[in-house]
Amino acid sequence: MDLGNQARIKELAEKYGKDDIVVIIGGAEAEASGLAVETVANGDPAFAGPLAGVQLGLKAYHVVEPEIKDEIDADVYDEQVGMMEMVLDVDAIIAECRSIREQFLGSE
Amino acid sequence: MAEAQFRVVHYVNQFFGQIGGEEKADIPPLSRDGAVGPAVGLNAAMGGKGVVVGTVICGDTYFNEHLDEAARQVGDMISAYAPDVVVVGPAFNAGRYGVACGAVAQVVSETLGVPVVGGMYEENPGVEMYARYGYFLRTRDNAAGMRQALPAIAKLATRLGLGQEIGSPEEEGYFPRGVRKNYFAGERGSARAVNMLIKKLKGEQFETEYPMPVFDRVDPNPAVGDMRNAVIALVTSGGIVPKGNPDKIESSSASKYGKYDLEKVDALSEETHETAHGGYDPVYANADPNRVLPVDAMRELEREGRIKRLHRYFYSTVGNGTSVANAKKYATQIAQELRNDGVTAVTLTST
Repeated sequence: MDLGNQARIKELAEKYGKDDIVVIIGGAEAEASGLAVETVANGDPAFAGPLAGVQLGLKAYHVVEPEIKDEIDADVYDEQVGMMEMVLDVDAIIAECRSIREQFLGSE
Repeated sequence: MAEAQFRVVHYVNQFFGQIGGEEKADIPPLSRDGAVGPAVGLNAAMGGKGVVVGTVICGDTYFNEHLDEAARQVGDMISAYAPDVVVVGPAFNAGRYGVACGAVAQVVSETLGVPVVGGMYEENPGVEMYARYGYFLRTRDNAAGMRQALPAIAKLATRLGLGQEIGSPEEEGYFPRGVRKNYFAGERGSARAVNMLIKKLKGEQFETEYPMPVFDRVDPNPAVGDMRNAVIALVTSGGIVPKGNPDKIESSSASKYGKYDLEKVDALSEETHETAHGGYDPVYANADPNRVLPVDAMRELEREGRIKRLHRYFYSTVGNGTSVANAKKYATQIAQELRNDGVTAVTLTST
C-alpha cells in the first residue's frame, strides 16, 4: 500500500479508534487487495511504510464485496463501480480479502 | 539464563528504510540502532535466536553514483555494530537496489569476513554481478514477495548465525556462488555419466554435473545501405599483427588486443605482417596475411569507389581460448573507439 495512504490511515485510526473505522479499498486484482487488507489489519507486509510492524487491527473490505456493495444505492454503485466490476475478477478479490481478514482478525 | 543471541545488521534502501521514495533516493548512508523496516519482521522471524542491532540505510541513486565510496561508508557503518551475520534487501527486481545490496555483500564478505544473506529476483542485474558474495535467495519480482522472502532470509540467517552448515544452491534456493565443494559420490564418474545418458535416451529428467554457461545472442544491426559513403574498419580475432608481434598478444587466451596503423599500406605481406594465433597451421596466414585480414580486397573496393574508405587502423586479437568475458570487454572498447572515429561498419574476420 502507498506510503502516504498508510500514514493517513494510521493517523485516522489514532484519532478515531479502530472500532469506528472501516477501510474500503479498490485494488484492481486479488493480491494487491489482499496486501492492503493485511496492511491495515496486521501491518505492512513489505515493511516499507509507516505501518511496518504496526497492528491497527482495522477491517478492510473491497468495494465489490457484498458487505459494502449492499449498503450502496444500486444506481450510484452501477454508475461509479459497475464498469470496473465487469472487468475485475470479483470472485478472486472477494476470496482473497476474506481469507486475509480471517487470518489476521479471526472469523467475522 | 537466556542463550547468547547472534548479532545481525540489516542493509536497506531509502524506501524500505522508511525515509521516502524516489525523491529521497539521493541520501547518503546513515545508520539507525535497532530494527527499521523489513528488519522489524526479520527480528521477529528469527525467533529470539538472533537480534537486529542496527539498520544501515542508503539512497539507491546515491549508492550507484558513488559506488566505491558508498560501499566503503556502508561497510564501516555495518562494521561498527560488530555483526555475526549481515542481511541485505531483499531487492526483488529493483536494479539499483540489487547492485547496492550486492556491493555491500562484497565489501562485508571481503573486509569483515561475515556471511551475508539477501534476496533478489533472477533478472536483477545484482545477481550476475554479485551473487558470489552472499547467499542471495530467489524472490519474486516485486515487494509483494516480502511475505515469502523475509521468513526464508530469517531462517538462513539464523542457521548462519548459529554456525550451521548450509546446503547446495539447489537445496537451499539461493543463487549459485561459483563455489565448488568436493564430496564423495556413491558411484564413479563413468557410471554416473552412463546413468545420465540412459535417462536422456529415455527422455527422463536428469541433472548435469557440469551446467553450461548461457551465452547471450546479439541481433545483427540493420544493413548499411549506402556503401559508397561508408567508412569500413577491419577487426579480426585471427591474430594478424605487425611482424614481430610488438604487443606480444598471446597465441592463446589473449589478455589484450592491438590497434595498428594501415596508413599507406596497400596490402599486407609476409615481410610486414604475421599471425600470433595458435591452434591452427599458420603457414598460409603467414605467407599471405590478407587471407585473414583482407586489406588488399578492401583497398580494391576503395579504388573502385564502392566504399568511401578503409579506416586507418585495424584491431586484432587472438580468439583461441579467449574467454567470452574478455572478448566482450575488448569488443566494447573497440566499438566505442570506432564509433568515436566515425566508422560506419566493420568487417570482422576470424581464422
